[in-house]
Amino acid sequence: MATEKNLKTILTKLQFHDDAQVMQQIQEQIIHVKTRMGLIRRKLVIMSGKGGVGKSMTTANLALALARQGRKVGILDVDLNGPCIPKMLGMKGQRFMITPQGAIPPTGPLNIKVASMEFFLKEDSPIRWKGPMDLSPVWLGMMEMSVIREFLADIVWGELDYLLADLPPGAAADKPPVIIGFLPELDGAVVVTTPSQVSTDVVKKSILYARDTGIPVLGLIENMSGYLCPECHAESSLFHGNPEEISNNLDIQLLGKIPFDPTISQSCDQGIPLVHADSVAARRFDQIAQKIHSILEAKKVFVQNNKGSAI
Amino acid sequence: MKFVCMRCEDFMIFQKSENVSEGSLGVMFECPKCGSRFSMVTNPGETSLVNALGVKIGGRTQAPEPFELTRETLKEPVESQATAAKAETTSGGSCPFSAMLSGGAGQKTAGLTWSAEADERIQRVPDFLRPMIKAGIESYANKLGYRVITPAVMDESKNAKGDLEWTPEAERRLQNIPEFIRPMARKEIERLATEKGQLRVTEAIMEDAKGIFSGMGYNSL
Repeated sequence: MATEKNLKTILTKLQFHDDAQVMQQIQEQIIHVKTRMGLIRRKLVIMSGKGGVGKSMTTANLALALARQGRKVGILDVDLNGPCIPKMLGMKGQRFMITPQGAIPPTGPLNIKVASMEFFLKEDSPIRWKGPMDLSPVWLGMMEMSVIREFLADIVWGELDYLLADLPPGAAADKPPVIIGFLPELDGAVVVTTPSQVSTDVVKKSILYARDTGIPVLGLIENMSGYLCPECHAESSLFHGNPEEISNNLDIQLLGKIPFDPTISQSCDQGIPLVHADSVAARRFDQIAQKIHSILEAKKVFVQNNKGSAI
Repeated sequence: MKFVCMRCEDFMIFQKSENVSEGSLGVMFECPKCGSRFSMVTNPGETSLVNALGVKIGGRTQAPEPFELTRETLKEPVESQATAAKAETTSGGSCPFSAMLSGGAGQKTAGLTWSAEADERIQRVPDFLRPMIKAGIESYANKLGYRVITPAVMDESKNAKGDLEWTPEAERRLQNIPEFIRPMARKEIERLATEKGQLRVTEAIMEDAKGIFSGMGYNSL
């Protein structure tokens, strides 16, 4: 009787050969993303563990603030299922222009280039993928990863100083690791929170999670921080938040606080972005943008000095 | 994924993949030693999973189109701005898996003939590789406007690495980029040249590219 063959022993004698060329194509996909992303000076992600804290509003207004400071800015709306950036910037219904070199993103206010799933969808339609939805747990995650990969690889941004990626809610979700996997040279994450203990708790988790994943957290923005009276312009606090607690405990900078400002929420809802910094909230975003820029400049010098001393 | 022929103690070799029914892929393997063949048949969930990888099993003959997977997998694709004119060359999206299949099935080869010698040569290529290689040669011939495929055209297509020619000076300057970055750099510089409507990568193009690469910390281009 033949003795039972041992697969383990057989495998030690064999050499892997990628004859179906799957690994090779995946390698090429990664190189493609890195080549494209390598041309962008600074890449930031806007994230939060909590939904509904104003990530997209923050992304849109931070982009406007950076653009007001004369920088070339792009926004990557990674929220595939609930894209909001086009609406907020008055760009709904726009489309990519597909060329052999890649997809050219539409340009919005202050020359901000925007890439969003919205540009592939009919008005008010959700994403509907081909494929068996009853079996979506098997394949949908992979599909979304690949779509994000295409967003990173296939867009012709041209020259950009800043690319802001608006991440979907959820910290331990699958998206941040994928993005960091594609962007090892990511400059950092900006974390958005709101003044509530619930938000603080979840956001803390997402910061720790980001650190585990190797994402450098640049700082925290507290949104919905106080209320601005449209009559007398006085600012009063609505809730009792304590962003300083996160900031101290986790050693993270508080980049700024954005009050409830009726002008900003109306601007987002109506798709008429605040191009000029003539509201309190917009001015706060200007300060935050400046702060982020200075932090990154300092980091750059720091890294260069480190390199110098190492030699 | 790999299959091992337990009799011959060797990896089985990928042969071809085809969609055998709605939402099901058949992927065929063969043992290089004893010639045993078997086929793996996927269920609809697995089929979608493989599709979601965005690769073509067996290799590609052409670089992927921008947002190829996204656009082909959306049930209600919207017209992108410049795609209308190109619609006939991209797959219409009727079959979600057509894009995965290796080989040139469905590719336009109208008007092309193979000379007897060329045909004889292509017949020497193993069965499972032939459609892919044929499609590659035909697409090269189409691009250059050849009507007849001769052994000379076959050689030419084999040697054609890209459409762009590099001048020796440009090539020399590229060597200043670290080796592990070079392939990416080459691709990017070629893209830049194409964007400028150039068919040759010259020193002038390298000068333009310098800015980009010094931004990445490579000042030596």
